[in-house]
Amino acid sequence: MEDVQVVAMLVRRCVAGDAAAWEEIVQTYNRRIYNICYRFAGSGDDAEDLTQEVFIKMYRTLSSYDASKGAFVTWVTTITRNLLVDHFRKTKQDRITDSIDTAPSEHDDAQPLSEQIQDQSAAPDAHVRSREVGETVHAALGKLSPELREAVILRDLQDMDYREIATVLKVPEGTVKSRINRGRAELARLLQRTYRQVM
Amino acid sequence: MPELTNHGMQCHEFDSLLADALDNVLSGATLDRFQAHARACPACGPLFAEAEAGRNWLKELTEVEPPVSLVDNILASTSGVDTQRLRVHVSTERRPISGLERVQAWLSNAMQPIWDTVRQPRFAMSFGMAFFSLSVALSVAGVKPSELRQISLRPTAIRHTYYNAQARVVRYYENIRLVYAFEASVRGLKRNLRPAEPGPAKPQQKERKNDTTQQPEQKQERNYSQFDNRIILACTPLGPSVNDLPVVSVTTYRRFV
Repeated sequence: MEDVQVVAMLVRRCVAGDAAAWEEIVQTYNRRIYNICYRFAGSGDDAEDLTQEVFIKMYRTLSSYDASKGAFVTWVTTITRNLLVDHFRKTKQDRITDSIDTAPSEHDDAQPLSEQIQDQSAAPDAHVRSREVGETVHAALGKLSPELREAVILRDLQDMDYREIATVLKVPEGTVKSRINRGRAELARLLQRTYRQVM
Repeated sequence: MPELTNHGMQCHEFDSLLADALDNVLSGATLDRFQAHARACPACGPLFAEAEAGRNWLKELTEVEPPVSLVDNILASTSGVDTQRLRVHVSTERRPISGLERVQAWLSNAMQPIWDTVRQPRFAMSFGMAFFSLSVALSVAGVKPSELRQISLRPTAIRHTYYNAQARVVRYYENIRLVYAFEASVRGLKRNLRPAEPGPAKPQQKERKNDTTQQPEQKQERNYSQFDNRIILACTPLGPSVNDLPVVSVTTYRRFV
């Protein structure tokens, strides 16, 4: 996936103060980090702020990266995950424990999940329908517990292998697999329940 | 989850193989036993179906596009560089980093925490107060910074400065001595011109008569001050007549404090 030598050289140039190398890193990884943040936080604005925070943290701790201990992408994902967990803990008090019928984010046009599924059959365009299904699944993903959500995001959305996920989450591979299974099953149950309400 | 054993597989083993089964990495006897357990177990069968359905739902999620301004905002908040200028610079040339630049970057990184601390308001106030105190002390001592440039550090000049300073100190003390001598002579003249002072009051001596604790002191005082302010007539026995001789009066002031 990534050439270890090239990335290590890029990091060394960054630490030496090469601004162009830093921009190359930002250009390469901003999309990935933004997607992880967006799927975990559920909001585009939050994802943008969190992505910036991740890069600020990376910029400050770049010299501590050791290529012999693991891939750079794993290191970046670990930073992202830790920051997301911190953010989740900080906003825990503010978060409302709403039901699946509440609007999850501004990307859903303030529509409850059940209404989005109801509109699904009425949508004439396949592209629009696919987008709406995606938003529905995204809203359901936000209902999962953080432990299950992060495991599912890293496996099914970021295509990371179990060993890398175990490194990022600091848990054994067996636990990672178990969380992924439970996360997928819980997501399916949430969506089935919503469909039954619509039908 | 109940721990059932169906076709030689327990539920916890099924759970650990579930992810691999969905990734299609199971084969042979393990796959057969897994599928048999999924068909027979009332808990694991639905779990397998739900996990598979959930994974298929997640495939509907496509990658989202980050905002256009994200990269610029990140670069502005980290390295603070002008992205547009940097892009032009990168596209035209990419020069290698020199050793001096690396050292400068390293020093800059190393000194950054110290500089951040020093820039705090309380340190700035302390530095300002120290500078103010120093400038006040120099002005009181008569040191002018503009004169410091004119100081010559040659050995002859230093020796000359030393002798000048020594002469100035000697002159100062000589002047003081002259002033003291003049003051002493003035004081003596005043004392001679002033009339005799009356002696101590008698009642005080009476009060202290029976006080035996102060006796030695009183005795000493009596011995030395008994004839205070008494006029002593000095005369010579030789001569024709006492009445013809001039009378010389000497007044002595003996004081013991």
